[in-house]
Amino acid sequence: MLSGEQSSASGPGSTAGEYEGQAPATRTPTHFLRKVLGRPVVVKLNNGTEYRGTLVCLDGYLNIVLENSAEFLNGELKRRYGDTLLRGSNVLYVGTIPD
Amino acid sequence: MSFTVGKGQLEEPVELLRIALDERVFVKLKGDRELVGTLHAYDQHLNLIISDAEETLQKAELDEETYEQIVRQERRKLQLVYVRGDTVFLVSPLLRHTGTFL
Repeated sequence: MLSGEQSSASGPGSTAGEYEGQAPATRTPTHFLRKVLGRPVVVKLNNGTEYRGTLVCLDGYLNIVLENSAEFLNGELKRRYGDTLLRGSNVLYVGTIPD
Repeated sequence: MSFTVGKGQLEEPVELLRIALDERVFVKLKGDRELVGTLHAYDQHLNLIISDAEETLQKAELDEETYEQIVRQERRKLQLVYVRGDTVFLVSPLLRHTGTFL
């Protein structure tokens, strides 16, 4: 269930070579996140809660909207949401999970 | 019929709240507090004005004899409440909920 976390270090389908020769501006975390839009992600908050769902939208504060999301605490499903807005200030990380 | 927002429809995340205005929303707050109520106003800090709200407060206590953890729920009604944005973890429009809830 937690297999998604291993893949969060590298971008979706990306390899280290993909960025070679590109301007530094295209290698920012924001650039990575833009590529993750519409994909299933796991968002962990500072309090340890995890949210899994489809990444609909996000901004520079890391405010995040997820679609068809589920809340996990200690790996246990707590609740399901349709659309949910997560406040950026609580976000620890955003990682991709395989489809 | 799907109530979910199609991807690409939102310019920025906080816009989800514009769609949720005058609807019932679920809010998760600091300190194991949850609110369900009608959203009337919001801003970029996620300060919220919510009416006809019910607040649920989870309290975990240790049983003195068995040392078992007991989770107690306290509920109270709030007619109109201003929620300070920095206490907000999550906001979710209830109409858009799918599957199980609560």
